[in-house]
Amino acid sequence: MSVSKSKVTKSILKSEQKSLFRFLTLYILLITFLMVVLGSYYFTTQKQIMLAQQRATLSKYAYEHIKKIKSLHHYFPEHNQYPRDSRFKSAIFDMDYIEIFSLLDYDNIDFEKDIYLKDGYIHFIKTLDTYYLGAKYLIVEVKDDEKWLYHIYKQLALFGIVSFIVFLVLGFFLARLFIKPMRDSVMLLDRFIKDTTHELNTPLSTILANIEMMDKDIMAPKNLKKLDRINSAARSVSVLYKDLTYIILEQNRECEDESVELKELITQRVEYFDVLANTKKIDFILELSKSYIFINRDKITRVIDNLISNAIKYNKRGGYIKIILKPNMLSIEDSGIGIAKDKVPYMFDRYMRFDNSEGGFGIGLSIVKNIVDEYNIAIEVQSQESKGTRISLKW
Amino acid sequence: MVKKFLILVWLSSVLYSDNIFDKKCVPCHKDLPTSLQQMFMQYIKLYSSERNVKYVMKYYLKHPSKELSAMSDLFVDVYGIKDPTKLSDKELQKAIDIYWDRYKVIGKLK
Repeated sequence: MSVSKSKVTKSILKSEQKSLFRFLTLYILLITFLMVVLGSYYFTTQKQIMLAQQRATLSKYAYEHIKKIKSLHHYFPEHNQYPRDSRFKSAIFDMDYIEIFSLLDYDNIDFEKDIYLKDGYIHFIKTLDTYYLGAKYLIVEVKDDEKWLYHIYKQLALFGIVSFIVFLVLGFFLARLFIKPMRDSVMLLDRFIKDTTHELNTPLSTILANIEMMDKDIMAPKNLKKLDRINSAARSVSVLYKDLTYIILEQNRECEDESVELKELITQRVEYFDVLANTKKIDFILELSKSYIFINRDKITRVIDNLISNAIKYNKRGGYIKIILKPNMLSIEDSGIGIAKDKVPYMFDRYMRFDNSEGGFGIGLSIVKNIVDEYNIAIEVQSQESKGTRISLKW
Repeated sequence: MVKKFLILVWLSSVLYSDNIFDKKCVPCHKDLPTSLQQMFMQYIKLYSSERNVKYVMKYYLKHPSKELSAMSDLFVDVYGIKDPTKLSDKELQKAIDIYWDRYKVIGKLK
């Protein structure tokens, strides 16, 4: 699985991003739903108001028209001209809803309602008390000019956009408030590490220097084994110390890049970690070709140290670490516990640890990601649980 | 031969050209001051639809009464109530159908 390039480890963690995304998605969905509900309610209300206004006018038309129908009833069949009016169209139906006469443009009539708007036509249905010409229902039809609709859409759009922006800004502040506890705990841990790192340097240097100075030739094999263990433990702490120092002091410092010959560097670092690997009886398998990279030496050392250190830490006893170096490509493969596929995107987050059986702060891979991003190095993780992990760098 | 044919034509016109409505209803209404058209308009003013009008009319013709009459009280007082019909149900229905078709409003308005 390829891990995208980002600076998230520096500013915002992936888990923070995920929480933020979830919160904002839920918030926007709820706001949109609320706005749609309110908008629909407003629309329906405005439509009812419009129909109420139309009812008054159409009632007047109907009253006038009934008088004309009454007159026609008395003079039928000598007069058979159905009354017309330029202001509206009309139709008459008997009590079985059978059409007696119609001038309507839209003849889909809903007799259940007294006034309604359908397909751009307003129908007002007047029930007659006396059935002149046999008519029980008089339908008065006018075409909807849709001015009210335009007015409502304008208001809805304006109000909708303004309130959406207001809610969005509010949501942004709420989201910040939402992730504040998470951010505070990260900052607290940062401060703690910064404070303790300063206290580690002197005792660690003393231990490592004294191990080097000891005369191992005269030492009993039993003590030599103990010394190896001390040496191995001290080197682990040393890698951790260097990582912490890098995070606190060096990552933002200006540094000089150079062409680094990786074969030599990797050989050195493997020798350094050999003592640590021996404690778990892990073998190194090296397939190293000459390869160069233009980078700061300390930074690429941090990358290699962390990848090897992790390969040892999460390896099984008696396992192997295979390091392949080709021009513009480095891969470090272990036979360890592996990582679940869904957790791979989060393995580079600071303080992220998937296995609590091993010690550490969970900052090693965060540093690796930070450095490879800085130098545009592609990083790829292939992992299978219980089988191992391969991390490849390409530049 | 020609004489026989003419007699046959005359007999047919007497027996078949006038339908049940013209034969059994129109003659009695001829002497009334209100036309059958005016009575029809009175019926649809009160009962609206074809189904309703025909139903009420059939019932009234079989069981005439002052209360059921579509005409005004004055009209009934002056001219009285007709006798119950002696037509069979089928004949009565046929006569009413003809009455409806002849005087109906549907299809006659412009």
